[in-house]
Amino acid sequence: MDRTDSAPRYLEVNGLVKYFGNDRAVDGISFGVDKGKFLTLLGPSGCGKTTTLMCIAGLHKPDAGEIGVGGTPFTSVAGRVFLPPERRDIGMVFQSYAIWPHMTVTQNVAYPLEIRKMDKAETGERVAEALRLVGLSDMAGKLATQLSGGQQQRAALARAIVFRPRLLLFDEPLSNLDLKLREQMRVELKRIQHEVGITSVYVTHDQAEALVMSDEIIVMSKGRIQQRGGPHDIYARPANRYVSNFIGVANLIEGRIARVSGPGRGEIEVSQGGQRVLLPCVLGEGLSDGSPAVLSVRPENVEALRDPDGGGPRLEGEVLQTIFLGNCLDCRVRWGDFEFKVLAPSRDRLRPGERVYLRLDPEHTLAVQP
Amino acid sequence: MTTETAFGQLDAAPPSRWRSLVTQETIATTVASLVVGAAVILPLIALVFNSFLVLDSSGFGTEWGLKNYRVMFQDRIIRKAFVNTLLISTGATLLATFLGVSLAWINARTNCPGRERLEPFNLIPFFLSPFVGAIAWHNLAAPKTGLLNVWAQDLFGLERHILNVDNIYGVIWVTGIFFTPLVYLFVVGSLRRMDPSLEDSARTTGAGLLRTTLTVTLPLVTPGILSGAIIVFVTSAGEFGVPFKLGAPYGWETLTTQIFTKAVGDDANHYLGASMSMTLGAITGFFIWLQQRIIAPREYTTVTGKGFRPNLIDLGRWRWAAFAYNLAYILIAVLLPLACLIVVSVHPVWEGRIILADLTTWNYQKVLFFWSPERIDSATNGILNSFILAFAGASIAMVLAIVVSYMIHRTKGFGARLLDFLCVVPIGFPGIVLAMGVLVTYIRTPIYATLWILLLGYITRFFPYGQRNVASIMLAVSEELDQSSRMAGASWLTTLRRITIPLLKPGIFAGWILLFVIFLRELSISIILYSTGTETLSVGVYYLSNYENEPLTAALAVAQSVVLLLCVYIFRRIAGREALTA
Repeated sequence: MDRTDSAPRYLEVNGLVKYFGNDRAVDGISFGVDKGKFLTLLGPSGCGKTTTLMCIAGLHKPDAGEIGVGGTPFTSVAGRVFLPPERRDIGMVFQSYAIWPHMTVTQNVAYPLEIRKMDKAETGERVAEALRLVGLSDMAGKLATQLSGGQQQRAALARAIVFRPRLLLFDEPLSNLDLKLREQMRVELKRIQHEVGITSVYVTHDQAEALVMSDEIIVMSKGRIQQRGGPHDIYARPANRYVSNFIGVANLIEGRIARVSGPGRGEIEVSQGGQRVLLPCVLGEGLSDGSPAVLSVRPENVEALRDPDGGGPRLEGEVLQTIFLGNCLDCRVRWGDFEFKVLAPSRDRLRPGERVYLRLDPEHTLAVQP
Repeated sequence: MTTETAFGQLDAAPPSRWRSLVTQETIATTVASLVVGAAVILPLIALVFNSFLVLDSSGFGTEWGLKNYRVMFQDRIIRKAFVNTLLISTGATLLATFLGVSLAWINARTNCPGRERLEPFNLIPFFLSPFVGAIAWHNLAAPKTGLLNVWAQDLFGLERHILNVDNIYGVIWVTGIFFTPLVYLFVVGSLRRMDPSLEDSARTTGAGLLRTTLTVTLPLVTPGILSGAIIVFVTSAGEFGVPFKLGAPYGWETLTTQIFTKAVGDDANHYLGASMSMTLGAITGFFIWLQQRIIAPREYTTVTGKGFRPNLIDLGRWRWAAFAYNLAYILIAVLLPLACLIVVSVHPVWEGRIILADLTTWNYQKVLFFWSPERIDSATNGILNSFILAFAGASIAMVLAIVVSYMIHRTKGFGARLLDFLCVVPIGFPGIVLAMGVLVTYIRTPIYATLWILLLGYITRFFPYGQRNVASIMLAVSEELDQSSRMAGASWLTTLRRITIPLLKPGIFAGWILLFVIFLRELSISIILYSTGTETLSVGVYYLSNYENEPLTAALAVAQSVVLLLCVYIFRRIAGREALTA
């Protein structure tokens, strides 16, 4: 799944380590981003994603590793290189937006250009363009404190892109917005990033955000990379139990590989409360005959049938609970000691207490590393 | 993945390793920590050393030994001074805590009429000099010349006086009423911002108003009350002016008045003074440690940032009693003393009676008109010196406060924790103790007997107050505001100038004016470190009280109080009332 790096990529992070006290917040991670792409670091709080971002920004000094953009070294612990943040030419959008309350929107956005001693006329043009891009042209003269959360967010973005930085960093920028605005801003952010074409690194704990916006996602946990790949890959082919649990909803059952039937295909043996079954599945990386594995199947890939017969194995279970969601039913079905989450079509009209037979789609039943 | 460096040009031009260390940020913060470290640590070390130096019989040479400490516990006067100090501190703490908590509760949580208008007056003693308060109360209630006593005698035809403040009770009385605002300020914030649902939930269980107040409200602010009480105890133990005016002349010595006589008196013995300072400092230091490490962390965070209004308790008819109580405090702590001083200051001599025919402004001309040949130098010099010291001291201390706050709250690591500690240390030592340390440290340097040594003493002792004002705002201002300026391409210094300082302006201003006020009325450091020509305003008051008469003293005291009240007025106009109670 990892692509082999031969040609250097635009942003290179190499063997990054950062300690907080004795805590290894970032534990030797390496990755790269191609020019113009949108990478998301995804993980729960404390996984090291923000620390990684801060190291790229130069706001934290790493304890080991190298960071460089477009061939320019930013940080190299071994080479004793540390470019201070103000000389990295990176635009950054912070979680709190960090719009300076003692300045107007225009002053905020013009600040980076002023620091770069750009002449007045061009500054005005650039600021106007940036404000137009984020849809804040009407707000130019307002004080930062007069803006709503969503508008502050846009102003922060305008300030980050106005000087056409080499790199754009986002530190959970949408987490302070309400749900509706957040969903709208996801699409908007992606559009603007696409329009300006600046390579971006985005940090979030919200998997939906990551799936919607990214060209590539890196799932992190405890300072390490769990998996990297495109949104579709990560969702459909999680590399391990951690990733399948973190991204979306999955039924996860401990088991063992019973048979490898072909390249990437095999059977997994799972047992729960006296029930035991062999299920055909797609094999994840690094699994061989007899190795312990976890069965991972998403609720939409499980069918609850009233008919016990048909192709492939079926798991007999009892419907415990159904929640009507309009277009479908969110069901809990007990098989042995295990409760399956199943998304069934509403028209099936399943009822609690009913006997059903679960069919797991073999194309979307995965065996992953525990 | 290859392990060798990913960047080709790295080997070609290896940048200097020192370049990355020498940044504006590291230079400024290193200088600031060295200055703070030296200013705080040197006097304390010198104090410890000097306390173990014993003056030999010739009175010129010294030798190492514990004799100073032995003398301290054998000398009858010092032993009694020690006991008096503890009695005064305890009494003043009880009085101030009772008054402070009750006033805070009345103002913050009841429907006492006019509470919002009364609050600023409740806080006025915080800004005035307790020494001036003692002078005023001496003129109000001295046995023979006290205005109240004379009035009572004339009114009821009494033979003897009814009040006497020239004793330990008088010291407790004046200290207690003047330090009441300290407790008030510690308590009122949490009372005001307490989550009303905490009390509401007690009410829903069937507890009445009084019961809720006693079982929920007060316990929740107990850490605040304890903190305030400890601060009052420590401040009272280090208070010099009040016992000097009301205690020492009548046989009630305290540690501070004894230290004073050992520092400047005829039988000056700096080494004995140092060991007494050490003892006093050890006591106060211990209590401050207790407050900072044990009690302050337990101040329940009842603030949830939701900006609710706490429930006001309807006192019914009793609200007028609360109003009268509040007014009575203002009367005894502010109105009576100030009025009395004004009355005394316009008499040529003061014998306890208002004599309308004799009224004069002569006293003011002698203490204020520095161009007049009749001026009293100690007073006129004192005014000029105090303004210089207050202006320069507040400005330098605030620059230091900004850099130090930045270090503590924006950089992490050992340096930050050390500085945080160094900022608490001066609070643990009374001014007179620290001044003793500064005296023995710099007595052989050229700054001795100049304004510089006073400036150094002032800044060392009080810059933590300015630092707290800045820090409280810095904590409220997100670090990301600074970081985003760095990301936008601004250097550390530019960020400080364009972003950090403008955002901290309210805190910087509040801290500056607070220090200005403190420095204008400072007595216990000045009294140790001044010399002829470098008197301060309060030293001027001391001089007049000691060597001239009460009316002249009162005139300068009135002048000082007017300036202080003016500062308070400006402070409240600009910084708002939250700046103090936060």
